[in-house]
Amino acid sequence: MVLEILSNVVLVIGLFFVFLAMLGLARLPDVYNRLHTTTKIGTLGAFGVMFSILLKVGFSPIGVKALTVAIFILVTAPVAAHMIGRAAHRHGVGLCKESVIDEYGRACSAACPEKEDE
Amino acid sequence: MKRYIAYSAILGVVWCFVHGTVSINNFVLGVIIAPFIIRPFKSLFRFDTEFSFGNAIKKIPAQVKYMYVLFKEIIKANIVVAKIVLQPKINIKPGIVAIPIRTKTDLGITAIANTITLTPGTLTIDISEDRSVLYVHAIDATDPEGLARSIRDDLEKYVLEAFE
Amino acid sequence: MNSMLLEYSLIFMVIAIIPCLYRIIKGPTIPDRVVALDAMTTVIVVMLGIYSFVKGSVFFMDVALVLAIISFVGAVTISKYLDEGVIL
Repeated sequence: MVLEILSNVVLVIGLFFVFLAMLGLARLPDVYNRLHTTTKIGTLGAFGVMFSILLKVGFSPIGVKALTVAIFILVTAPVAAHMIGRAAHRHGVGLCKESVIDEYGRACSAACPEKEDE
Repeated sequence: MKRYIAYSAILGVVWCFVHGTVSINNFVLGVIIAPFIIRPFKSLFRFDTEFSFGNAIKKIPAQVKYMYVLFKEIIKANIVVAKIVLQPKINIKPGIVAIPIRTKTDLGITAIANTITLTPGTLTIDISEDRSVLYVHAIDATDPEGLARSIRDDLEKYVLEAFE
Repeated sequence: MNSMLLEYSLIFMVIAIIPCLYRIIKGPTIPDRVVALDAMTTVIVVMLGIYSFVKGSVFFMDVALVLAIISFVGAVTISKYLDEGVIL
């Protein structure tokens, strides 16, 4: 019984976090800030929902596979975010106008100043 | 040879989890199939370096401690970003800062980069050519020195203990 | 009561897809659309997990695992194409 209530609480928290991630995707100003929300909040939301399913069914095939999906999302989301961020910066997507500092762009232009020649 | 045994055991556990039934039969089946998977992708596994079971087992307590720190930081990160998303008017000062790191091995750099991505307000973008500086997008970049200090003191200590 | 909670959670996830669609259609640059597609796949994986529990069938969880893998490989491939112009 207490496991039931705990799993329902974790489920509601996870769903709320997933919804919050999608809301942040619509609201925040540029690619990098959107990556922040979908990587962090979306990952924890999916992890919470899968963990609540594991609490509901125990270590049956559904529960073990839910745990596998949760760990897979937790491991691969940062890698995908890193790849998208690097590709966006090299593709020429600038930071939003609220930004205060960009040391990566400075380093890039110092390393290869005449990139437009190709 | 030792590496084949270690990776076969890991792949056997992964096969158990993907199949959905954790039992000794599935584990043995996974261990039997694993060398045929490892052999074609030999360049992905680091066969040139030395490996011993003693070192790998000695690091497990540090890795458990690292997982505990990681989960604590993930929950803190979610509360920070959720507060930012729920503000009625978005008021942030983002930016990309350069952060020097001390880890040298491939595994250590991967671990610190993924840890930075999952912790409050920071997201790894790239690493420099000489593998000593990480470029990190921060959602609040008004204090670059404080950010570098917090990463060095709070996270990198555990990563160095667990993976180097 | 329990199954009602799960059905309402499915409806809630469908509502959560709407901002992703808005970002896919409007997104000013290509990386925006990639991020939105990645996030939408996460929502669909969550929906498949809940649906697998409601139906009591393990096969939908397999679909969720494969969809997570395809989403990761797709995001990495599109990023690499944007970055270098070649995939392999």
